[in-house]
Amino acid sequence: MIKTLRAALLGTALALAGTATAAAQTAPTLRVGMAAQDVGRLDPHFAVSTIDRVVVAWMFNGLVRFKPGSIDPAQIEPDLAERWESSPDGRTWTFHLRRGVQFHGGFGELTADDVVFSLRKAGTAATSAFSADFRAFEAVEAVDPYTVRIRLRENVPSLLGIVTNYSGGYIVSRRAVEQRGADFVRSPIGTGPFALERVTPNQSAELTAHAQYFRGAPQIGRISYRFIPSDASRDLAYQNRELDVNYGRADQTWINRTRQVPNTTVDVFEPGELAVLHLNTTTPPFNDIRVRQALAHAVNRAELVRYRGQDVAREAQSVVPRGYLGFTADVPLLQPDAARTRQLLAEAGHPNGITIRVIHTQLPEMLNMMQVVQQQLRRAGITLDLQVVEHATFHQQIRQDLSPLVYYSAARFPVADIYLTQFFHGRSIVGTPTAVTNFSHCNQADRQIDAARVSTDINEQRRLWAEAQKILVQNVCGVPLIETLLVFARRNNVDYGYELNGSMSLGPLITEQSRLR
Amino acid sequence: MFFFFVRRLLAAVPTLLAVLTLVFVIVRIVPGDPALVILGDQATPEAAAALRQRLGLDRPLWEQYVSFIGNALTGDFGTSLVTGRPVLDEVAAVLPHTIDLTVASMIFGVATGVPLGIWAALHRNRAVDVAARILSLFGLSFPVFVSGIFALLLFSLHWRLFPVIGSANLDDLPDRLHKLVLPTVTLGLIMAAYITRVTRSAMLASLSEDYIRTARAKGVPWRRVVWVHGLRNASLPIVTVVGLYVGILLGNSVLTEIVFNRPGLGKIIVGALNQRDYTMLQGLMVIYCFLIVVVNAVTDLLYGVLDPRVQAA
Repeated sequence: MIKTLRAALLGTALALAGTATAAAQTAPTLRVGMAAQDVGRLDPHFAVSTIDRVVVAWMFNGLVRFKPGSIDPAQIEPDLAERWESSPDGRTWTFHLRRGVQFHGGFGELTADDVVFSLRKAGTAATSAFSADFRAFEAVEAVDPYTVRIRLRENVPSLLGIVTNYSGGYIVSRRAVEQRGADFVRSPIGTGPFALERVTPNQSAELTAHAQYFRGAPQIGRISYRFIPSDASRDLAYQNRELDVNYGRADQTWINRTRQVPNTTVDVFEPGELAVLHLNTTTPPFNDIRVRQALAHAVNRAELVRYRGQDVAREAQSVVPRGYLGFTADVPLLQPDAARTRQLLAEAGHPNGITIRVIHTQLPEMLNMMQVVQQQLRRAGITLDLQVVEHATFHQQIRQDLSPLVYYSAARFPVADIYLTQFFHGRSIVGTPTAVTNFSHCNQADRQIDAARVSTDINEQRRLWAEAQKILVQNVCGVPLIETLLVFARRNNVDYGYELNGSMSLGPLITEQSRLR
Repeated sequence: MFFFFVRRLLAAVPTLLAVLTLVFVIVRIVPGDPALVILGDQATPEAAAALRQRLGLDRPLWEQYVSFIGNALTGDFGTSLVTGRPVLDEVAAVLPHTIDLTVASMIFGVATGVPLGIWAALHRNRAVDVAARILSLFGLSFPVFVSGIFALLLFSLHWRLFPVIGSANLDDLPDRLHKLVLPTVTLGLIMAAYITRVTRSAMLASLSEDYIRTARAKGVPWRRVVWVHGLRNASLPIVTVVGLYVGILLGNSVLTEIVFNRPGLGKIIVGALNQRDYTMLQGLMVIYCFLIVVVNAVTDLLYGVLDPRVQAA
């Protein structure tokens, strides 16, 4: 009797799966054009470039997720975990998993074992690019097949942020990782709405709908993720209706032109990349605060916004991007004043102005912006001698402290702690064993940053983060320039199923509700 | 002839070894850290060190070199540092596209350039000759990223004859040929322009030789004089140029590949260089050099066919 029942259930399941697969094959294909030559490693814990982040977000889930279309940490909602609770001291978190969540490719049901394995993997330097995010993790353990407990050494500003559908928070199939070994980077297995079918080097990644997706079978049958590095060719392909979604340039001219294409919507969305001029405060000439102030007075943010475009750029207001938890605009940013620049330079012993040798990348978007900054500074008597190098060289040389001024543009998880720690904490100073991207060598706000990180009182955290930002701006550790938003174009028949205001995967999230009308 | 070919290939072994060594050294001298490329800009030195160790990049250079050469001799070029995919798989996936484009462009270049060059030589300093020279100058002057975009605007966007995305399904011959047309014409035009000029000057030299006068005096039909006596003797420089150009096409068609969204060796080489993908670069260089050696050997064979004196030597 039991055997008969099992066979019947199996038969029904197979029939349903077959129907769903057939439906996926007949459902429409979404064609997405991306400005890249190829994908990198598709193990989500190594997905660091934009092209990789966009595609892994379609294939994987976290314990929790940002509400689709939003990057607001306050709107984080259940994903693989249906609920969770934390201890009063915020150091023990218990997640209760959904039942019946299936991995792609018949790798079975998700259990606590997969979650424990994934989070431990994400926290290990050898198997993850995001291991530093898990520094505060003491233990991750399975309480039962559907319950996971995380114990922390110390409080963190946003534990949910670490286990969300972003960076190290993606959950992988333990069996797939162990079975596929090194091959997992090119044949990853997740629980997301789309599964990787194949990657054709230099051409495309093809994904198919995951019929057993726990939120329901996706309405889009396939995604063809095309790698098209040339902006001109990608735009032509979009105009020729060979693409439904197109990665856009953060440039007003591009936006205006693309809006003229019939049946097109241009989405401009968060997170904004904050561009900052980081000034090395330990070596001449920027070890003199008057020179740093002079430079800050020479920068005109409004002009930079006009150059990049009103729709896509906005003036920076602090050393943390706006909208991040803990951001404050109440900081003493110095305003454009060329006369003051000259006066400060004269007081600092540079009456005839100064020349600074700066290493910069040849990436067009960064180089163009830096050339505008160069002109602004020249008007005030500061000459930037740009040494333009290839991008990988730029990244290596600025980490070797070879440039007293570093133009750096970045978006991070939207909590002030991440940005402040990586760019302005003493532990992150380049050249040290724990270095990340502190090019200014500033450590004046370490106390506030550390205290905010372990505080359990959100108001206290906000106060400390605001204080840290004020200190850093007062010391002119960096000169915030502009924030540049992300841009994608889509045909009007593409309905993401939500309003795209933000995406931590840096591209539109394609969910089970996304469809081609 | 077979032994001649094999001898040429064997003689290329020291060249390949020298190139391997050079590439191995050069890619490591160039600044830029593959670990940073793979781990991204938030990587800590600890994570980067762990990755370097896992990739074997922390081992002494000589050890890396010995292991690289040893593996290369057994046909194992390792896996890409960036994508984790085997180098040979990556190359095998794009090589047919490169060969398609190279062969098609060569055929187009020769089929267009040789007759045009002959025609220009036969009408020296007349309107036809001037037109051919101006046309070839245009062909040489227009970079692919200009002529390619123009071609896409006209033939894809305006007349909708060809797709913009030129990456074809290799199993679908009509699709493969269809998507080959625009890149072939764009790339082949440059080659045609070059061959037109070389053919013209070689034919002018050949047609002024005594044996041409003798043939004409003997009453040999003019068509035969031109195509058999003239062209055959003018063909050595043409073959030389075609051989050289095929080598260039194999690796330097990167702009065509980018503009027409085609996969290919050139595109992979540039990508590997940007990403400091040492293993991929090394593997690509070996394969590229091997192809060049084969092309050169074929060119030498053709010399022998066209001019028996070369074989005798």
